[in-house]
Amino acid sequence: MRVSEEIEAAKPSRGFWSDAWQRYRRRPIGMLALGFVLFLTIVAIFAPAIAGTKPVVCSYKGTLYFPCLGYFNRSWESPIFTKDKFRGTYPKNLKQKDPESWAVWPLVFQDPYRRVRENEWPGRRENPSRDEGHPNRWNLFGTDQYGVDIFAKMVHGTTIALLVGFVSMGLAGSIGVLVGALGGYFGGWVDMITSRLTEIVMCIPTLVLILALIAVVEKPTIWKTMAIIGATGWTGIARLTRAEFLRLRQTEFVMAARATGAGSLRIMFRHILPNALAPVLVPITFGIASAILVEGSLSFLGFGPPPPTASWGSVLNSARSNLQLWWLVVFPGAGIFLTVLAYNLVGEGLQEATDPRLREAKK
Amino acid sequence: MAAPLLEIKDLVTVFHTSDGRLPAVDGVSLSIERGQTLGLVGESGCGKSVTAMSTLRLVSSPGRIESGSIMFTTEGESIDLVTTPEKQLRQVRGGRIGMIFQEPMTSLNPVFTIGNQIAEAVQLHRKVSRSEARSRALEMLHLVRLADPEQRLDAYPHQLSGGMRQRVMIAIALACEPDLIIADEPTTALDVTIQAQILELLDDLRSRLGTAILLITHDLGVVAETCDDVAVMYAGRIVEQASAVELFSRPLHPYTIGLLQARPNVDARDSGPLETIPGMVPPPQDFPSGCRFHPRCSHAREPQCNVEPPSLREVSPGHFVRCHFAEEINS
Repeated sequence: MRVSEEIEAAKPSRGFWSDAWQRYRRRPIGMLALGFVLFLTIVAIFAPAIAGTKPVVCSYKGTLYFPCLGYFNRSWESPIFTKDKFRGTYPKNLKQKDPESWAVWPLVFQDPYRRVRENEWPGRRENPSRDEGHPNRWNLFGTDQYGVDIFAKMVHGTTIALLVGFVSMGLAGSIGVLVGALGGYFGGWVDMITSRLTEIVMCIPTLVLILALIAVVEKPTIWKTMAIIGATGWTGIARLTRAEFLRLRQTEFVMAARATGAGSLRIMFRHILPNALAPVLVPITFGIASAILVEGSLSFLGFGPPPPTASWGSVLNSARSNLQLWWLVVFPGAGIFLTVLAYNLVGEGLQEATDPRLREAKK
Repeated sequence: MAAPLLEIKDLVTVFHTSDGRLPAVDGVSLSIERGQTLGLVGESGCGKSVTAMSTLRLVSSPGRIESGSIMFTTEGESIDLVTTPEKQLRQVRGGRIGMIFQEPMTSLNPVFTIGNQIAEAVQLHRKVSRSEARSRALEMLHLVRLADPEQRLDAYPHQLSGGMRQRVMIAIALACEPDLIIADEPTTALDVTIQAQILELLDDLRSRLGTAILLITHDLGVVAETCDDVAVMYAGRIVEQASAVELFSRPLHPYTIGLLQARPNVDARDSGPLETIPGMVPPPQDFPSGCRFHPRCSHAREPQCNVEPPSLREVSPGHFVRCHFAEEINS
C-alpha cells in the first residue's frame, strides 16, 4: 500500500475534466470536429477581416480608423466616412481624398451585402450575376442572382450559425438544468410539476411555434428565433438533469455536505451540478447542431433573419428560385452539413470521454 | 449540575412505507457529557445509524422524527434540534456538531480537491477569506496527520486511500471545532491496522480538543478501547446502558452477554467454536410483542417475556437494563 500511495503522490493531481480531455484527445475524429468548430469560431470573430470591402485598419487624414467594425455594428464605423461621402466605397475614395492614406484590406475584397461594382478595386470587373456567377478567381464560391459574393455571405453568416447554436442552447441549457435540478432534488410535488411542465413543452413542435410567432410578431429578428428555439429545446436536458439529480441526491457525499451545514441551493449547484454536468453537456452539444439546422430550415423557408443579414440558410433560400445555380446550393449546404456533423461528433466524443459505461465497453 | 452537552429523550423516528408505520428508533434516550465518548452498539438494522441521523435531522423521507426531544447545550444555550428552524440547524450541522460517515470512499465529492472541501466547511460557518480557509484546511490536514499535507491539499479524493480519506472526513468534521462529533461506524470500511490508527486519532483529538464523541459501531472491541459509556441498542430500543468498565465486567442483559460471548477470545488457545445468538434482528414491521429480544433469548420465560415489554430500569447506579430478570440471569 505504501508503494501505491507513493505512486499516486508522484502523479500530478488530475481532475475529472482533465481526465476526460485526455480521453477525448485520443479520438482523431473528435479532435478534427473540435478543430472545425474552433475554426468556425475564428471565422465568425474575424469575418470582416476575411471578406469585406472596408479596410481592417486605415490611416486617413492622419488618424487611424477601423472601418471593418462597421460590419458588426453600423455605428462603430467612424462617422467621418459618411461625412466625407465615401458611400461604402473605400479604395478609390481613400486615395482621392487623402493621398497620404494607407489601408490594410480584408483577405478577400467582396461584400456580403451588395454587389461589388466595376473598378471598385483597381482593374477588377463588376461581379457577375445569374448564370455567369459560377465560382471564379474573384468569387470563390460564385455569386447569387444579384451578383453578391457567396463566399463573403458565408463568412459573415458563420456568426449567425454559431450564435444560433450558442445562444439558443445557452438558454435551453439554463432552463433545462434549473427545471431538472429542482425536480430531481426536491422530488415530491415539485418534481410532479416540473415533470408535467417538461412533458407539455415536449409536445410543442418548435418549427410550427416559430412560424406562428413570426406570423404574429411585427419585427421577427434572429434573436426572437433563438429565444424560441431555446425556450422549447430544454426538455431533453431537463430530463437528463433530473435523472442525474435523483441519483446523486442519494449519495453519501451529498449527505455529508448536508451534515456540514450546506443549504439546499448550495448542495444543488455546488455539490451535485458539477457531478451531473458531463451527461448534461452531451445533449447540449447535440442541441447546438439541431438549432443550427432549425435556423437553416427557417431561412430556407424564407422566415429567417430579414434580408440584409447574411445567413447560410438565406443563401439556400435564394437557391430555391434559381436551382440551376448549383453553387447556391452546394456551398451553404455543405457548410450547414459540416457544422452539424462537427457538433454531433464533438458531442459523441464528449459522451465517450465522460461516460464510464461507454468507456468500459470500449476496452 | 450543568445540562449535558447532548440529551436525547424518548426519540421516535418512524418510516412510513407501504408496509405501514415502521419505528426504526423507538423511544431512545441518551446523554453525552462534554468531552466524553459514548459508544452506541448494536447489530445491523437495530436503528443506531437512524439515531445518529435523527440527531442532526438528516433522516430523509419517508423517515420522520415523530416525537422526542434532542436538547443540545452549548455556550450556556439549549436548543431542541427536533424543533429548531432549519436555518439555525444548519449552523449546528458542521459548526457545533460534526459528522463522520461510514464510507470514506463515497463521502467526499469526487469533483473537488480535498483542500476545497475542508475550506468549504470552514467558510460555511466562519466569515473568513478564501486564503484563510485554505490555510485552515492545511492546518486541519496536519492535525489529522495526513502524510504530505501541502501536496494533498490539491489532491482529488480518488487519489487517496480509504484511511487517508477518512482522515480528510475527520478534518472536515473538526474544521469548525465542534463540541460533538457523531462518528457513524467510522472504521467499518477500513482494514484493521488503519482502523486502529483512525480510532487512536479520534481519541487523541478528543483529549486535545475536548470534543465529545458519539461513536456508533457494531464492534465491541472498538468500544472497549475508546468509550467512557456504552449504550447497547436492539430493535430500535436501548437494552442496556452503563459505563464501559461496568458493562464489560458485569453485563446484565442477555443480549449484551450474547454479544460479548460472540467475540473471539485471543487469550484462550482452543476455545472451540464461537458462541452465536440464534436468529436475526427482526425488521421493524415484525417486532415481537413483549420484550423484543425474547424470541432469541435463552432465558425467556413464557407468560412474562412475550407479553409485557420490560422497562429500562436502573439496577445499580448508572447501570440501566431493559430485562425482567436481569438480576437473576447475572447471579
